[in-house]
Amino acid sequence: MSGGPAVRVSIESQCERQVQEVSLDGLETYVPPLSMSQNLAKLAQRIDFDQSSDSEQDGPERESREPWSKPEPEEDEGAVKFQPSLWPWDSVRNNLRGALTEMCVLHDVLSVLKEKKYMALDPVSQDPIQTPQVFQLISKKKSLATAAQLLLKGAEKLNKSLAENQEQRRQRDFNSELLRLRSQWKLRKVGDKILGDLSYRSAGSLFPHHGTFEVIKNTDLDLDKKVPDDYCPLSVQIPSDLEGSAYIKVSIQKQSPDIGDLGTVSLFRRQPKAKPGKTWHVKLEAAQNVLLCKEIFAQLSREAVQIKSQIPHIVVKNQIISQPFPGLQLSISLCHSTGEKRSQRASPEKSKPDDHLYVLEHNLHQLIREFHKQTLSSVVMPHPASAPFGHKRLRLAGPMAYDKAEISSLQQSEGLLEKIIKQAKHIFLRSRTARTIDTLASRIEDPQIQAHWSNINDVYESSVKVLITSQGYEQICKVLSFSVKRP
Amino acid sequence: MEAPPVTVMPVTGGTINMMEYLLQGSVLDQSMESLLHRLRGLCDNMEPESFADHELVYLLKGQQGNPFMLRARRSLLHPTAPWHLRYLGQPEVGDKSRHALVRNCVDVAASHSLPEFLNEMGFRMDHEFVAKGQVFRKGAMKVVVSKLLRVLATGNTENTEPLSLSYLVELSVLAPAGQDNVSEDMRSFAEQLKPLVHLEKIDPKRLM
Repeated sequence: MSGGPAVRVSIESQCERQVQEVSLDGLETYVPPLSMSQNLAKLAQRIDFDQSSDSEQDGPERESREPWSKPEPEEDEGAVKFQPSLWPWDSVRNNLRGALTEMCVLHDVLSVLKEKKYMALDPVSQDPIQTPQVFQLISKKKSLATAAQLLLKGAEKLNKSLAENQEQRRQRDFNSELLRLRSQWKLRKVGDKILGDLSYRSAGSLFPHHGTFEVIKNTDLDLDKKVPDDYCPLSVQIPSDLEGSAYIKVSIQKQSPDIGDLGTVSLFRRQPKAKPGKTWHVKLEAAQNVLLCKEIFAQLSREAVQIKSQIPHIVVKNQIISQPFPGLQLSISLCHSTGEKRSQRASPEKSKPDDHLYVLEHNLHQLIREFHKQTLSSVVMPHPASAPFGHKRLRLAGPMAYDKAEISSLQQSEGLLEKIIKQAKHIFLRSRTARTIDTLASRIEDPQIQAHWSNINDVYESSVKVLITSQGYEQICKVLSFSVKRP
Repeated sequence: MEAPPVTVMPVTGGTINMMEYLLQGSVLDQSMESLLHRLRGLCDNMEPESFADHELVYLLKGQQGNPFMLRARRSLLHPTAPWHLRYLGQPEVGDKSRHALVRNCVDVAASHSLPEFLNEMGFRMDHEFVAKGQVFRKGAMKVVVSKLLRVLATGNTENTEPLSLSYLVELSVLAPAGQDNVSEDMRSFAEQLKPLVHLEKIDPKRLM
């Protein structure tokens, strides 16, 4: 820069306002700037309320708004009617008013609709879609076929499970029957057979019968036929000599029969129920009873043969005869029916009164059971353990040097037969005593005899109280109390 | 009621030669309980009978080779019970098919002066032991389950120690000679004990 004198440069802002007029004296009059509200009006005029509305607005109207909508100046302003006297918010107000009117109308319509009295809403009915009938038929058929197939499959499954259940029930029945059998009887498995023991050996009997029965599974059931009511999948096979039923008949007769009649006792007090379909329980019990009766009779006959007594006992086939008193005969017989021979049932002996003494039969059973228990008592067990079995006192006989009298006193030699004979004697004596007292009482009128028999008796003793009174004399009264003891 | 004098039991003593049929086996201590339960079920229905015995084995050495052996046994639980003297012969060398060991057997009950008597006779005590266990019976068969204990001091039965960790099981029947069905019954009974204990005939000569 050269060193010239500094030029004053004045900086002035550009004149932002438009010049409205220039007066004659050069004074510029600026257009007053728009105030805030005028500015807002100007901007509001630019809003086009119809911009997205329907196309019914015609061109001139549209064009009339153009100067407000488009910011660029319009050249053919003269074609448009512009009324500057209108308040700039007018269009806005008109538009808002139109919107309000429309809203009010809508509100009124809805409130009238709500009452449902004068106006109702209905959907616009549409034309139904016409499907051809053949198609409908085919579709129905298909759906039915699917449903039918499902049902058939289900039914088949049910059938199969039912058949399986029945088969299983029969199988399970055998096992559950076997379980029940095992809970009551001793069973063991030998190879592929199931054997059981119905003897009294584990209860102390020494009878040499094996008493083995076999358990058989019933597989001969036909599924198609109806199952019989008493069908049991389990059956037992008992030894052939234990079949049927048996009992011991004890009777006292006055007269002694002919020798030739002996051994022909074969009558029964009740008809044997020979049902072929007996359940295993009944069969086994009957077989066990037969075994016990056989044991009792074997024991009695052994004693009858071996024990010496004044009047010998007679053992013939299935009968033991002994004479407790002269003229009196006691007969013990084993009556065993196998259930097959029916002809024996029509025996003429039925007309005879049954003189079977049930009490003695019961006592025989009791005595043999006592004997069984005796063999199992701990008195028999050896101490020391290597000693043989046998009663403790017998083992003492050697070291203590017992003599014969002491040993025989230890043994208490009464056998089954002797006991039964004693009991029979007692029964006979008691009935004879009662009869004697009764005949005396009926024959003698003065004094009066009354007999009161005690209810509580022993098998060997009974007691009776006899009152002898004189009528009218209460002080004279003799009371006899005596008992019929075993001899 | 006592047992009637006439029974089906074989008569012991007299001139009848009694034979002992024997089967032996052993079972470990821990399996004892199950064996006892099994025996309780198989054998006769009685309360289990325990025993404790003291056995002394006497030998008489003669000029010949084999000494003569007698076994004297007394019960420790029943001190008043008589002593039991037993002679067991050589096992019979019958047919091999016989299932049990058969040997001649003589049983005598003796009073409490037995040890002195044997000493006077010339017998000398060879060894002694204590046996404790239980006895079962099934008919004529006797099952003895015993634990053998060694006596530490001679004559003192309080100080004992077990010989092994197992129990000796013996199945024996006393019967007159010539009854072969006895060994059959024993074998079938031994079959029923099969998985728990194996009872077989053990020849004592083979052990020596």
